[in-house]
Amino acid sequence: MTDHQWLELAVPYALDSLAPEERATFEVHLVVCAICRAEVQAFRDVTGVLAQAAPDATPAPELRDRILVEARRVRPIGRGRAGIGPWLAAAACLLLALASGYAYVRARGALRRADAALAAERDKLAARDSLIATIFSPDVATAALAATGKPPSARLYWNPSRHRVVMAVFDLPPAPAGRTYQLWAIAKGKPVSLGVFNTASDGRLTAALDVPPGLAFELTAVTEEPAGGSPQPTQTPFLVGKVAAD
Amino acid sequence: MARWRKTRGGVTFVGVLANEPKQFRAPDRSLIERIASGDERALGDLYDRHGRMTYALAFAIVRERADAEEVVVDAFGQAWRTAPQFDPARGTVAAWLATITRTRALDLLRARGRRARAVERAARGDVDGLAVPLGGVAVAPDREMEQREASGLVRRSLAELPEAQRRVIELAYFGGLTQNEIATELQEPLGTVKTRMRAGMEKLRGSLAPLFALEGP
Repeated sequence: MTDHQWLELAVPYALDSLAPEERATFEVHLVVCAICRAEVQAFRDVTGVLAQAAPDATPAPELRDRILVEARRVRPIGRGRAGIGPWLAAAACLLLALASGYAYVRARGALRRADAALAAERDKLAARDSLIATIFSPDVATAALAATGKPPSARLYWNPSRHRVVMAVFDLPPAPAGRTYQLWAIAKGKPVSLGVFNTASDGRLTAALDVPPGLAFELTAVTEEPAGGSPQPTQTPFLVGKVAAD
Repeated sequence: MARWRKTRGGVTFVGVLANEPKQFRAPDRSLIERIASGDERALGDLYDRHGRMTYALAFAIVRERADAEEVVVDAFGQAWRTAPQFDPARGTVAAWLATITRTRALDLLRARGRRARAVERAARGDVDGLAVPLGGVAVAPDREMEQREASGLVRRSLAELPEAQRRVIELAYFGGLTQNEIATELQEPLGTVKTRMRAGMEKLRGSLAPLFALEGP
């Protein structure tokens, strides 16, 4: 596909009007193309306000309470480690079991599991959004990792404010059995592991990895390591890239 | 309060009144931060600010009161759970909520097997009402006034598009149709649909530009 053809997808993508497979292909392209990302962002501004064209409609006054009641049933994700809340909840469940009998609790549990599964699906979508958001941030730094211009190659987006990197890998055959790939951040000459990964059978991967807060690094590198990864690289990196502002 | 002035090329944002009550201007982002830390009151405040917009959007898509309410409850539930993942670099809180609401509303239509009917209605042009001018505006708090002005601009901008371009954009946004589905629905070549969508969105990008500067993160 030519650059021009890619760019044409920015409008339908921002309007969420691409077929799923077309959208997935374009999202892989977005990882490596700053021009298309900028175009998408510009049109997202437009779609972001289109909702305001909906004809006025007044919600029932009770709706506000319903929302707050629903919210009390779940807590926001990512609020850090749980405090005493879950223990209280567990204790409450136990009391409930004693008071109301096993069958009731089992039915309730099934309902909760269904709720949780539904919420998990939605949150999976949110996670995908979050991955894309990491790339779209204005303060993102990038690193192109390539072995002297030949495949395999990788591109890395480091978003310091979200403490995350998103990595897109191309033309890298999956690691052999019992081995894995490991991504390193080189900070002042010292390698720090950002995590292990493996590619799919098509040699590609898009993944988000956490960066320790406060870690600043100038270089990134990929090595092949024993399964599970190593505390320090045991091999010479086959991919290295310098970090630069996008 | 934002003031708008009609100029030859469109509408220009000309300034902010000095007597703007600051207490109404706490950014949406600080609400999201409070929600992320589990503050239910902040969720209530978020609803007070954007509940009407999300409900109107949900209703425009699902066309039934009870379903629209269910969508809004779901959407605010998702906002509550995923607030820590909100990224201001990607757009405004209102845009984020609208995206969640639209997705939930289209999901509900599909789940109820009513999407085909909604699409048919949209293609017939029943959604033309989307681009009607606003009715009389009663005395309202500044923030509400500001939102009304913004939504008035969006509606006018849509209404000023050539009918064919507007239809394609509305089918995509309110109908949840892919470009291929729009082409089938309107019995037009895919290339025509793509061209109209792009042309319409380019125009909106121009005419709505003052809003993006105004809204900020």
